[in-house]
Amino acid sequence: MLLDLSEEHKEHLAFLPQVDSAVVAEFGRIAVEFLRRGSNPKIYEGAARKLSVSSDTVQHGVEGLTYLLTESSKLMISELDFQDSVFVLGFSEELNKLLLQLYLDNRKEIRTILNELAPDLPSYHSLEWRLDVQLASRSLRQQIKPSVTFKLHLNHNGDQNTKVLQTDPATLLHLVQQLEQALEEMKTNHCRRVVRNIK
Amino acid sequence: MELSASVQRGFQTLADPGSFDSNAFALLLRAAFQSLLDAQADEAVLDHPDLKHIDPVVLKHCHAAAATYILEAGKHGADKSTLSTYLEDCKFDPERIELFCTEYQNNKNSLEILLGSIGRSLPHITDVSWRLEYQIKTNQLNKMYRPAYLVTLNVENTDSQSYPEISFSCNMEQLQDLVGKLKDASKSLERATQL
Repeated sequence: MLLDLSEEHKEHLAFLPQVDSAVVAEFGRIAVEFLRRGSNPKIYEGAARKLSVSSDTVQHGVEGLTYLLTESSKLMISELDFQDSVFVLGFSEELNKLLLQLYLDNRKEIRTILNELAPDLPSYHSLEWRLDVQLASRSLRQQIKPSVTFKLHLNHNGDQNTKVLQTDPATLLHLVQQLEQALEEMKTNHCRRVVRNIK
Repeated sequence: MELSASVQRGFQTLADPGSFDSNAFALLLRAAFQSLLDAQADEAVLDHPDLKHIDPVVLKHCHAAAATYILEAGKHGADKSTLSTYLEDCKFDPERIELFCTEYQNNKNSLEILLGSIGRSLPHITDVSWRLEYQIKTNQLNKMYRPAYLVTLNVENTDSQSYPEISFSCNMEQLQDLVGKLKDASKSLERATQL
């Protein structure tokens, strides 16, 4: 699958051959850093002054590079397809190789970052548990009531959410049994077939 | 057990064969247990023809006294001798004491269950459901190809009678971690019961 680059995009990327490869590598690093942490316009100005171009040009160059990397990572295109897609830009052999290396080196991390953009349910982080025995309450003295108290830590959109819950021994055994069945499901023939065939 | 003067007076009236003959006493006793333990019991529990001849104010007072005493006894897990001592102090004859103790013994378990269920506690997990899915793509990321679980815990809240659900997603490793920790908890529970 080839990348479809718009005219505007090609224009932005046209800046790259005009600087030497060390600068392109630096732009690549900045692009990934911006994906990790968000963009920082001051960096554009610093670079623009050093290269004697407008900061807009630098910005477009970095953004173009970012888009190239994220689209390629999203589609998980092969090396060959990446090279062919970049070929239409008419860059030098050296630049093409540099871009390919940039793609391969950062693909995994970019995919992890893109994954966080998906619609999200709270996800499991960890579980703490504690065994308790209730001995008495206001309405009944001399009890022996065992229970298990949990602190369930969940992550949602970057925030940690904690829920404190309780259950009785019988339900605990039921929970273990049900969730063990859930884990076993992945090992069934049906699931294995699906995993093998959908690629 | 701390019991008010009102309860004591009610019992003294109950003890008096002039106010309550044997039949009426037995009926009132049964009515007291019923109104506490039977979920469908209503005010009509005292509407028995054999109780009609007794002044309704006296009837209500004695019913309330009996119910209060039964709850206090249940709360503290009173034994037969404690009950007998108190009833003797209220001038109950041996027959009525025996009847009271028998009724109490018969209903003791239900009483304890009822009292034990009153009170605040943390949200209580009652059930779990799960869903296994195979993620293929999102609009941001193609070719994901990995399994994911969606787990929902059904939770009961004692005070608000609400049934919130807690749902979360996890991958295989995380679910294994969760199951591992739950198994640790249940093994620890097993060991504690053998001590």
